[in-house]
Amino acid sequence: MEEDGTKLSLTIIDTPGFGDNINNEGSFSEILKYIEAQYDEILAQESRIKRNPKFQDNRVHVVLYFIQPTGHALREMDIEFMRRLSPRVNLIPVIAKADSMTPSELALFKQRIMDDINFFKIPIYDFPIDPEEDDEDTKEENDALRKLLPFSVIGSETEVKVGGRVVRCRQYPWGIVEVDNDKHCDFSKLRYILLSSHLQDLKEITHDILYEQFRTERLSQEANG
Amino acid sequence: MATVGSSGLGKSTFINTLFSTLLKDYKQQPKRVHDQIERTVSIDVVRADIEEKGFNVRLTVIDTPGFGDYMNNQDCWVPIVEFLDEQHLTYMKAEQSHKRLEADDLRVHACLYFIQPSGHTLTSLDIEVMKQLGTRVNLIPVIAKGDTLTKEDMKAFKNRVLDCINAHGINMYTPPLDGDDDDDTHAIIEAMPFSIIASDNEVTVNGQKVRGREYLWGVAEVENEQHCDFKKLRNLLIRTNMYDLISNTEENHYEDYRMKRLTASGLSDDDPVRNAQKNMSAKMKEDEEALRKRFTEQVRLEEARFRKWEQNLIAERDRLNKDLEEHHKMVKDLENDVEELQAANR
Repeated sequence: MEEDGTKLSLTIIDTPGFGDNINNEGSFSEILKYIEAQYDEILAQESRIKRNPKFQDNRVHVVLYFIQPTGHALREMDIEFMRRLSPRVNLIPVIAKADSMTPSELALFKQRIMDDINFFKIPIYDFPIDPEEDDEDTKEENDALRKLLPFSVIGSETEVKVGGRVVRCRQYPWGIVEVDNDKHCDFSKLRYILLSSHLQDLKEITHDILYEQFRTERLSQEANG
Repeated sequence: MATVGSSGLGKSTFINTLFSTLLKDYKQQPKRVHDQIERTVSIDVVRADIEEKGFNVRLTVIDTPGFGDYMNNQDCWVPIVEFLDEQHLTYMKAEQSHKRLEADDLRVHACLYFIQPSGHTLTSLDIEVMKQLGTRVNLIPVIAKGDTLTKEDMKAFKNRVLDCINAHGINMYTPPLDGDDDDDTHAIIEAMPFSIIASDNEVTVNGQKVRGREYLWGVAEVENEQHCDFKKLRNLLIRTNMYDLISNTEENHYEDYRMKRLTASGLSDDDPVRNAQKNMSAKMKEDEEALRKRFTEQVRLEEARFRKWEQNLIAERDRLNKDLEEHHKMVKDLENDVEELQAANR
């Protein structure tokens, strides 16, 4: 696909069935295994004597974790999942179906989630600032984005004509919710982050920090075991 | 009335909206002092006396916080099922005892199961729990947070849920139809499972104050039948079918439970123990009769005695009266004599 003039090759991984069972304790091992499998492949490739230049990097650069809009706080499963996965991958929590909450409810919910995340010290991707490299603008931008976490999203594929324009939206008997409207949800901001502004940052962190972490652990495991 | 469902689906809000009063406090955010180690589902009971159009309703609302919240929700329905059975048992015991007081009837007459508006279908937890509940209580599934699904999505979701319910043989409550021209009940049945929106906030729409949820893009109204089925559900619960819910619980569910329980404890109608009991009670009846006879005899004797006594007293009185009369006569004669003498003197 093309975004802002640059060609992107995007792989989307979906996880149907997650959390649907009565006993969900085994759910995230599947996902974790997949992520680590990709890392393993890279590790194997790097360690080859003759490396393949055309090797496809299948590592997961970001995970969007969809939180149910209960309005209370994070559930046990949310906390467990985020805890286990964030050491391995950039994790961005997202509030799904944000059109089920009024603006005040949404603000309160976001606050509670961030409180939980801070309390349990879950290392999510929070737009880190590199004090040496980044300039003031980037700092400001990242600060503002951090305040918006977790992002509220509304999804829709239906397009409707509203006031002369054609928008993607959800139609209710009491009104129309626009997906791309910043006042209705954070979707467009998230899209911009993922596909333009922070794409590089996400990739760099995956490669420089997360992968290296994995590599160290894996190799010391093999050395000891 | 019991409300069962995962947290955050609006059960407490629904209860407050239904009765227009703040019956239930909202879930207090637990202080995250420690991890959620205890995986318990608790049962909260709230009693209230409500007046609805001049009728006093003693309402008991049973909430189930903690349900479906955990990673491993195995057997999370057990506390609820046990609670329901316990109420039947308590009532059964009270019925059997010789003191048939108006026992505190905590039996559940309607159980609202809150379904998450995923738009897909029921989860395996939903199915398992509803199966268990449907055999013990009038089960009314409702789709919570009805303002999350568009009209078409909602229709499709309702159909899928109904398909699921029928496929698994879940016993859902349907109000009885009094004849074919009962339009209201038809409408109610067609709308099941009900989608509900709950709110205890009042918002002004077109100059009128309504209860609803105010979004940036509009107001989802609680009592607007185009928006959700809240009104229909309320009618079913409180107005039209309350009696049916109660009688159905008593006649069907309670009797089912009783039968299961008694057969489980080894009793049957031809049981020798039962027969022995019957004989015992026959003998007891005889003894009772004999006692009663003796009692009547005693009473009769006493009465005869009293009558005699009464008669003696009457005789006494008559005699005394007669004496009195005689004396009166004597006095009169003497008076006459005095008069004559006085007349002769003149």
